[in-house]
Amino acid sequence: MLKVRDITVQRGTKPVLHDISLSLTPGATLAVVGESGAGKSTLLAAILGLTTCSIGEITWDDAPVRSCRPALVMQEPRSAFNPVLSLRHSVLEPIVARKAALDQGRLNRLCAGLELSPNLLARRPGEVSIGQAQRVGILRALIARPPLVLFDEPLSALDAVTQKHTARLIADLQDEEGFAALIVTHDLGYAAAHADEIAVLRAGRIEESGAARDCILAPKTAYGRTLRDAAFALGSLERVA
Amino acid sequence: MTTVLFGLVLRAAVVLLGTALVTFALLWHAPGDPALAIALARYQVVVPDAVRDQVRAEAGFDAGFWTAFSAWLGPILTGDFGQSSVTGRDVWPDLLVAISHTAPLALAGLAIGLLISVPLALLATRNPGGLLDRGAVALASIGAAVPQYWLGLLLILLFAEHLSWLPAMGARTSMHMVLPALTLGLAVSASLTRILRSGIQEARGRPFLPAFRRRGVSGSALERDHVARHAAVPVITVFGLELAFLLEGAVMVEIIFARPGLGSFLVSAIEARDFPKVQAVVIVSVALFVTVNLMIDVLYRLIDPRIGEPHA
Amino acid sequence: MRSVGVLAAIFIALALLGPSIAPHDPTAINIPARLSPPSATWWLGTDALGRDILSRLLHGARWSLGLAFIVSVIGLCMGTLAGLVAALGGKYADWIVMRATDTFLSFPDLVAAVVIAGVLGAGTGSLIFALCVTGWMRYARVARGIGLSLRSRGYVVQARLAGLSPLSIARWHYLPALLPSLTVVWTGMFARAILGISALGFLGFGVQPPTPEWGTMLLDARIHMRSTPLQMIWPGLAVVTCVLAINLVGDALRDALAH
Repeated sequence: MLKVRDITVQRGTKPVLHDISLSLTPGATLAVVGESGAGKSTLLAAILGLTTCSIGEITWDDAPVRSCRPALVMQEPRSAFNPVLSLRHSVLEPIVARKAALDQGRLNRLCAGLELSPNLLARRPGEVSIGQAQRVGILRALIARPPLVLFDEPLSALDAVTQKHTARLIADLQDEEGFAALIVTHDLGYAAAHADEIAVLRAGRIEESGAARDCILAPKTAYGRTLRDAAFALGSLERVA
Repeated sequence: MTTVLFGLVLRAAVVLLGTALVTFALLWHAPGDPALAIALARYQVVVPDAVRDQVRAEAGFDAGFWTAFSAWLGPILTGDFGQSSVTGRDVWPDLLVAISHTAPLALAGLAIGLLISVPLALLATRNPGGLLDRGAVALASIGAAVPQYWLGLLLILLFAEHLSWLPAMGARTSMHMVLPALTLGLAVSASLTRILRSGIQEARGRPFLPAFRRRGVSGSALERDHVARHAAVPVITVFGLELAFLLEGAVMVEIIFARPGLGSFLVSAIEARDFPKVQAVVIVSVALFVTVNLMIDVLYRLIDPRIGEPHA
Repeated sequence: MRSVGVLAAIFIALALLGPSIAPHDPTAINIPARLSPPSATWWLGTDALGRDILSRLLHGARWSLGLAFIVSVIGLCMGTLAGLVAALGGKYADWIVMRATDTFLSFPDLVAAVVIAGVLGAGTGSLIFALCVTGWMRYARVARGIGLSLRSRGYVVQARLAGLSPLSIARWHYLPALLPSLTVVWTGMFARAILGISALGFLGFGVQPPTPEWGTMLLDARIHMRSTPLQMIWPGLAVVTCVLAINLVGDALRDALAH
């Protein structure tokens, strides 16, 4: 399980994240919600090991988090793939890097689960739609069976209809594969629909966190309430009795 | 701002040190026995071993690399380039004499180059894409492909041999400088034209110009303050880059036209294995470059503090 | 663009086929026929030792063009490696490589090449060394610039996360992005190498006689400038045409890249 213990991450001399603590168990989904600039991407970078924490540590099963080889689904699918290589090449990179053998059956199953036809993978990133590209991104993230998958605004590049659909595909795959999911999003509606827990990030600190239902129905902080009300107003969150 | 400038100066100093090291290392590892070559050049006969060893000890080849390097570097910092291994005379005065021959030639070449390229660039940019513009670009491209020594030879052939209008070899009279300077100027004008042209064009096409015009800033003031200032950036770069070109061109031209100067100074020093002289030439030319580049960097920052690295 | 490609193809063909289509042996000395003007037997005439100039030109292509090609490719490899080390190796590696680049850039091209070739002894080996040592820097700057911008590109981050080896990352993700810009730089350096080799040959520091090289041919021709001025035209013309063609290809490439 993922444990983020009191980390502080600095850029130069300025702290970007203060005293962040989180935990995440396998099979569960944690949504990190916040405005732009709150530090969500930095948090992801820290968990992935791309940025070092000046204070605190991040572990998976008490080992440094990098040892579990967490995967990342990026916000913008087009830049997540090398434009000159076939999608298949990129998808298989995690397998190739681990010098493991390709389980063709698994690949086919995942493709089916993501509603991707196998010959789609022979194409280049520029030759498929954004929705398809994002699903291939998810495919790549899952192919090597990582216990932890991070999602950086996985739906924001997609149109509304595709968003709901893709979110459901992710949730179904999570039930099948059993990975822990940490989803960074500014969409409270998405968090409410699919997350077990929500953490609200603001200016580098966690304003509040807890079970998703509680965060929506009864936010503990004023900021939490502001976010929720904004989401209601925009219609991304439906009032639940 | 002062920290930035200080950083630039520090960088230049490091680079100078590096070049000194590289120069010294190269000559240190030269094949053959330099002592032998020096002795030969000095005494004009094949010398017995004892004499050769004496030459070696005198020239400092016996000491280790770093000792010799610091022993050499120290005096250089105070302007003492040591003595010629061959003639025993101080290097610096002879080097200065050589420079005094090369500098006027280089300046004359630059002047001719500017005389050709500035009007050409201005005319070309008056009507971008027009006949004159494309002609200028074509000329510049051809000019960049012509080897300087060939150009010099052709000019000698035409003006000295065929037409007998101008003298070719040597530096006896001031007329002797015409052909060499012309060669140099023509060669330099090719790249000068290209850079000036694109610099002026870029400055003319700046997005803020229409805005200024609408506000009534007059044409000539516009040219002067804004076009000139933005064109100054690439123009200043040009001078820095062309300096290298000029120096090499002058060396080459001197050799072709059999003129005294840095060219013959360098070549004869190399052939005689006179390392102090070779090192002196290299160090001085490198120091010139680094200093000029430093001044250019500083000038950039002063003209427009927003500009970052001016190098391509 | 097409005409430029045709030009380039012609030169490559010349360099490769030159020796086979040359009518005479370039080293065959024929004193009685020395310094003859162009004729049916010797299309461009003969030089001071009676050797056919056309044949020497064609054989010389191998040296002036072929050697330049080798030199520019070696420079490409050295410079790209240095640039990538600077971009990927961390702050210290970057600083060292950048200072080294600045240092070598401070040496005037020709002077440095003359000194190196002169000190190490004239000949092909020192010629290659001299031109490579003075020619890798531009590649390094370009490679470093592109390398730095690529580091944070999405797919490069993904490759690093996947645990792909640095070598594989360089091969699959950096090289394809570097190749277009590096090729443009390479054309410029190829032209520079041609000019450099013939310049050093003309000064006597380069390829040694009797090997036909365009620069050394000019050196020979210069001695006989009064009697056979025509001899000076051909080698120079060869250099100009080749360099011009390569520069045109380079410009076309650069324009194509910008779109």
